[in-house]
Amino acid sequence: MVAEIGPSNVEAAFLLESLAKGIRVDGRGIYDYRRLKISCGPTHGMVEVHLRQTRVLARVSCEVTRPLPDRPTEGIVQFSAELSSMAAPGLESKTAQEVAITRMVERVIRQSRAVDTEALCILAGEKVWLVRLDIHFLDHGGNLIDAASIAAIAALKHFRRPDVTVDGEEAIIHDVRERNPVPLSIHHTPICVSFGFFGGELIVLDTNLLEEQTQVSNFTVTLNAHRELCALNKAGGIPLNPKQIQRCIQIALAKVDEINEKIQEALKACAA
Amino acid sequence: MTRPDRRDAGQIRALHCVLGQLSRADGSAQFAAGDSSVLCGVYGPVDVRVYDEKLDRAHIEVKLRPATGLPNTKDKWTESVIRSTFEREILCHLHPRTLVQINVQVRQDDGAVEAAAINAATLALVDAGIPLRTMVAAATCAVLPGGAIVVDPTLEEAAGAQSVHTFAFGGDTAGGPLHVDSRGDFAMDEYNACYDICATTAERVLAFMRSAVEGKIAKEALLVGAS
Repeated sequence: MVAEIGPSNVEAAFLLESLAKGIRVDGRGIYDYRRLKISCGPTHGMVEVHLRQTRVLARVSCEVTRPLPDRPTEGIVQFSAELSSMAAPGLESKTAQEVAITRMVERVIRQSRAVDTEALCILAGEKVWLVRLDIHFLDHGGNLIDAASIAAIAALKHFRRPDVTVDGEEAIIHDVRERNPVPLSIHHTPICVSFGFFGGELIVLDTNLLEEQTQVSNFTVTLNAHRELCALNKAGGIPLNPKQIQRCIQIALAKVDEINEKIQEALKACAA
Repeated sequence: MTRPDRRDAGQIRALHCVLGQLSRADGSAQFAAGDSSVLCGVYGPVDVRVYDEKLDRAHIEVKLRPATGLPNTKDKWTESVIRSTFEREILCHLHPRTLVQINVQVRQDDGAVEAAAINAATLALVDAGIPLRTMVAAATCAVLPGGAIVVDPTLEEAAGAQSVHTFAFGGDTAGGPLHVDSRGDFAMDEYNACYDICATTAERVLAFMRSAVEGKIAKEALLVGAS
């Protein structure tokens, strides 16, 4: 497959010139997010997120398994996200780009302990739920990280697992038709907000593909609905001063509230 | 006979398709039959790896990703089915030393997903403008334990069925099937009955796909006319 070719010099120059005047190529403001569309269903735990061209599908599924020997009372959250050539020509799994994106999302969901793993225990040391989160990148239009984190969190909230009753040493797993399935217990909803830098004081929110290919550095802030910082990520690129980071966090705070509202709205709309 | 979703034995689920949704792929299509839904993106003809390069024709590559988990043996099998079906129908000799890559993503598996994948691939190839000998349409039917034959089975029906048959046909069903996949225990007359049912169903699916493509082209023609 042909390797991805970046934008031409003319395109990049045009982008930078207009950015210097405060204009973005897709007509947004500097701190505007693209139109976010979240669609849930038809099954539980299936959520598709559109950020204009960017499209990410998240699927949550579960099964019963034995717990890890060192954590007998905790369920397992498994995470899988692979870039494939579906999203863009020449994208492949097991590349540095994939590692950068999937590590970030994994860190946000798993290591910030968004899912209550103790609530996934059925019988200590014997049976626990294994919750699997699959993220499929369908279309790469820039800013995959944000779209993936929104899709992941929305899918986890949308998911329902079968109800279980424990009777002594016996665990009965009820069919979803027999008893209403129950939602997962989720501690908090971390959401990524990414910024692109173009040298100087220029900061841009939610980079599209052209901006992402032209940027000199990027920075991802992860916040939850309680306005707590969950993760920060800046992997290389030009150095930033602390003031810029402060500013990014301030902007991210406002955006995370908006995104959370969108997620709630979408979940409510499909529950109705 | 009643089916769990109250369909008649010969009734397929509601079909739905969208063409050209993906911005990066050369052609794409989403094909859904009821809750079974497949997305397909096609690149081609594009640069090929030296190893895969064929001097007289295009190389066809199919990648299928299941809805949950990693690709297993069955997914690899479906990949090879799609490749061998389309290797003959794509006019490969027109694009020597290139690659046509078909990416298939199963969004949701509720039975008959192999047929849905073939249908999605046809639509995506047409959307990408890859020259084809014919449009391919596939259909599935299942023989239930009582001997009743149901078309387009759901996952639940297929799991309880005695045998499941998938056929793919080109534009002319009289020319014989392009792909046959029969699993389970079945008699020859059951097979023949399934063949006939799938042939008529595939014709209907093909008519649906054709109208979807026509609709999209008509819309594009309007846009071109307006500008």
